[in-house]
Amino acid sequence: MLDFYRRLYRTIRPSSGDDEANPDDGGVRADGGVVTDGPAAEPPAEPDRDVTTRLKASLDRRFGSDFMESSVFWLPPFLLMGLFVYGAVIWNLLISLTDYQRFENAPDYSDLDFEMYTRALADSGFIDAAVNTLILLIAFTAGTLIVGLVLAILIDRGIRFENTFRTIYLLPMSLSFVVTAQFWLWIYNYNNGIANNLIGTFGLGPISWLGNQDIVLYAIIFALMWQFSGYAMVVYLAGLRAIPTEHYEAAKVDGASALKMYWRVIIPQLKGATISAAVVLMVFGMKAFDFLYSLVGGYRPPNGADILATKMVREAYANLNWAYGSAIAIVLFGMALSVIGPYLVYEYRRNNL
Amino acid sequence: MSDTEPRTDGGTMTTTARLRRTLDQTTVEDAGLYVVLIFAAAFYLVPIESGLVTSFKTGTAIIETAPFAPPGASGLTFEKWQAAIDALLRGMGNSLLYAVPATVISAFVGSVTAYGLTIPTWKQSYKAVVLMLIIAGIFIPYQAVLVPLTQFWSQWVQLTQTLSFVWALGVPDDYAGIIELVITHVAYGIPICTLLFRTYYKTMSDEMIESARLDGATLRRVYRRIVLPLSGPMFAVVLIYQFTQIWNDLLFTLVLVSTESSPAAPVVLILAGLGTSLEGQDFALRMAGAFFAALPTLAVYIFFGEEFAEGVAA
Amino acid sequence: MATLELDSITKTFQDGDEEIVAVDDVSLSIDDGEFLVVVGPSGCGKSTTLRMVAGLETITSGTLSIDNRVVNDVKSQDRDIAMVFQSYALYPHMSVRQNMSFGLEESTDLPDDEINRMVSETGEMLGISNLLDRKPSDLSGGQQQRVALGRAIVRDPEVFLMDEPLSNLDAKLRAEMRTELQRLQNDLGVTTVYVTHDQTEAMTMGDRIAILDGGELQQVATPLECYHEPTNQFVASFLGEPSMNFFDVTLEGDRLVGEVFEYSIDESVQSDLGGVTDLRLGIRPEAVELVDEGGEHAFETTVDVVEPMGDENTVYLHFDPDADPETAATLVATIDGFNRVSEGDTVTARVPEDAIHVFDRATGEALHNRSMEDAAAQIDL
Repeated sequence: MLDFYRRLYRTIRPSSGDDEANPDDGGVRADGGVVTDGPAAEPPAEPDRDVTTRLKASLDRRFGSDFMESSVFWLPPFLLMGLFVYGAVIWNLLISLTDYQRFENAPDYSDLDFEMYTRALADSGFIDAAVNTLILLIAFTAGTLIVGLVLAILIDRGIRFENTFRTIYLLPMSLSFVVTAQFWLWIYNYNNGIANNLIGTFGLGPISWLGNQDIVLYAIIFALMWQFSGYAMVVYLAGLRAIPTEHYEAAKVDGASALKMYWRVIIPQLKGATISAAVVLMVFGMKAFDFLYSLVGGYRPPNGADILATKMVREAYANLNWAYGSAIAIVLFGMALSVIGPYLVYEYRRNNL
Repeated sequence: MSDTEPRTDGGTMTTTARLRRTLDQTTVEDAGLYVVLIFAAAFYLVPIESGLVTSFKTGTAIIETAPFAPPGASGLTFEKWQAAIDALLRGMGNSLLYAVPATVISAFVGSVTAYGLTIPTWKQSYKAVVLMLIIAGIFIPYQAVLVPLTQFWSQWVQLTQTLSFVWALGVPDDYAGIIELVITHVAYGIPICTLLFRTYYKTMSDEMIESARLDGATLRRVYRRIVLPLSGPMFAVVLIYQFTQIWNDLLFTLVLVSTESSPAAPVVLILAGLGTSLEGQDFALRMAGAFFAALPTLAVYIFFGEEFAEGVAA
Repeated sequence: MATLELDSITKTFQDGDEEIVAVDDVSLSIDDGEFLVVVGPSGCGKSTTLRMVAGLETITSGTLSIDNRVVNDVKSQDRDIAMVFQSYALYPHMSVRQNMSFGLEESTDLPDDEINRMVSETGEMLGISNLLDRKPSDLSGGQQQRVALGRAIVRDPEVFLMDEPLSNLDAKLRAEMRTELQRLQNDLGVTTVYVTHDQTEAMTMGDRIAILDGGELQQVATPLECYHEPTNQFVASFLGEPSMNFFDVTLEGDRLVGEVFEYSIDESVQSDLGGVTDLRLGIRPEAVELVDEGGEHAFETTVDVVEPMGDENTVYLHFDPDADPETAATLVATIDGFNRVSEGDTVTARVPEDAIHVFDRATGEALHNRSMEDAAAQIDL
């Protein structure tokens, strides 16, 4: 692998062969020198210690002894991913500043302005979608966490058939949004769906779950909770298992009731699990596009349930307002960043990276 | 050498569970607990069960029987399954065509990346920066990259033209979309695969790696002879997780393949529009289609539930 | 075979804004074929030193040479060393044979059958021939330990590095392996650096021992020299079990005056002290004698506690019978196991002048040690 770098370097600098004979080697080393470079660390010159090796050695000393050798492993994938993620986000930002739309082949980058963002602020559809996104994120995340926590506590009480229950609760998570959307479409069906069947037995309804603008968003949140509470349960379960049994026993000995024990002793220790589950759930929530698209089989979700994710795709791919779609995407990205940024800093501080 | 065994450690888990159990011995409470658990199980299963029974119902049975009740002899039909399979089988093949290579490649690349960022010694602070950038990539809403992605594949890298010799062989050029999907899924799969492998590699014994280095092995040899052979359990987790994610994803297929009528349309794309017509929605067909499309991921989940749980929990 | 030279080796770690010195200016020179034991309390920098020799840690400053070749910037795999780790670090997915061949396959171009032959020979030497096809997880701790050794031996390196290789074994096996390791090292004659926190291993195994504390080298000498002629109070207290007795004393004329006793010293000892008056008197427990009648250097004491060890007893003596046993100055003595004393007895303890050590109280430096010849003569008796 090292040879690869050496060859690469040779092609870039064909004269490097001469440097071997160059007696004035010390100069380069001094430049590459690092704080850790004591006077005694100067090794006797060896014949094969050419510029490449020295360059490599100086890089290694700055970044750590395996830096160059290990870069073959992580650098190419990192660059590929960086191109597709960060390169694309920056590109997207640029496009959002153009007026790119319709069947133009490429955006015109010569004229950049914030027109698309002012347009968004004036677009009541955008404001509604942003509000819906926030409601969805908060209600979905909070609801899913609570259901997941309750399930995890119940399952952790040393029950029989634990694996069976866990498997059932997590089952919806393995299904595609496209598939679960079909199920819930059927459940929310006005005439024959289970939802209306169920409330019918209490003499209520029927309700047009997906047709009523005030209800539809919550109906969708409920369906998403069904799909992801198993995930929250698994994360909480791992958190609960990490708590030593002594804590339960100590609380018992102190005479705490079961409820008090969980509230005062156990739940506070699940902070880490809550944070990481919440971040992941919010991201799932922002990706709820697949579910809404499949629910109607098209770009236009039920009235009252439009979120930024669906609006962005609709504007770009149905209405061909590429630049406007990009601007909405940047807003969505900003929302995601405001959640992920602090989370990553938190994980870094805890030395968890 | 506990660090190398699969970490699904059932043994200690049950002991602690048993300990906890002794804390609350009231049987009435226990009975209540099971009632709640069973109700919860019903909540998760009924939508699926209802879908399953509906998929076998005739049009009249759908109206006449309760949505979760079995169809009964007169209302039973396999016609909808037949139709769903006819409609989706092509998509199933297409999905496998990109999901399998993308899964395998992203898992392998993730393993290599995680290795380079975990095992070799270089400055922790620099590693952390690279890792942060990679991990943030897991959480990016894909909407933020869609338009550039479309630009990239349609204007910059025009596979339809580049691979014209392939289409000349009689392969419909729509299949360029499949190749685009593989590369796209690999690129966006690198972050999560790297993270999963990294959590695993962090538990590997430092002394073992150091010992291999002292034995004269280069980093590449350490990976090939020590780390890779010991990565088996994590490969199971990552392959299963990635396969589920890629198979289930709709957004990229929608943007890159675009139409469900395309010969290269993946199953999710066809399913999203299945059973919708001007006369209304054919629920039995939709349910049959949903089940058929979910079969591969369901099979994976049922056979490898443990690994799946580990994948999502990481 | 090679010499190993550490010249002013220093290692600092950055912890936030703080710089922590783990190893401070250590210079050591290890002869070809020598067995050097590096010993010290945990956190003294002994493992860091070893890891720097192995190339697993970078050297902040100083030079490290193997056979007069500076290897500071040479990677681990090119230093021709083999290391045995505390956890053995066997490769769990490989059989014993594969574990042992790995190093030869990676670092040499030897043909497979040659490697196989060498592995078999080494296996025979270590008595693990019957285990060669097993996986490490099927082996006991002692067997794993042997495989780890075999893996190092088969490579025939210039230098062996061992990082507490015996500390995961139970006491009996540890004693056995101690002897065996010594025998192997003797037969192979490979320069060896052995790190341990166990003073028994240090005393019994090494040709010389190097004692580290707080990252600084305290003394390098043969085990007996370190024991009988410690350079400072740390070395004196670190070696020996029970530990050496220490009493704060002040020099007044020809007498060392302590809180509860006075001790007269002759001119030769006085001259060693070089005018320092704030001193610390040291005496090894086994040098204290219980005698029938008083005399010079003999004290009336009360027995506080007796700890029978079988072959010998450890007794804790107080100078003042009425003193609070928690705080009173205690003289620890090891005496013959048949010597029956019990708690509360009044006994006369003699502290022979030729066995005392005197340290500078301010610096801890040894000013006067018992002489090795005297000590040797006493052992012969």
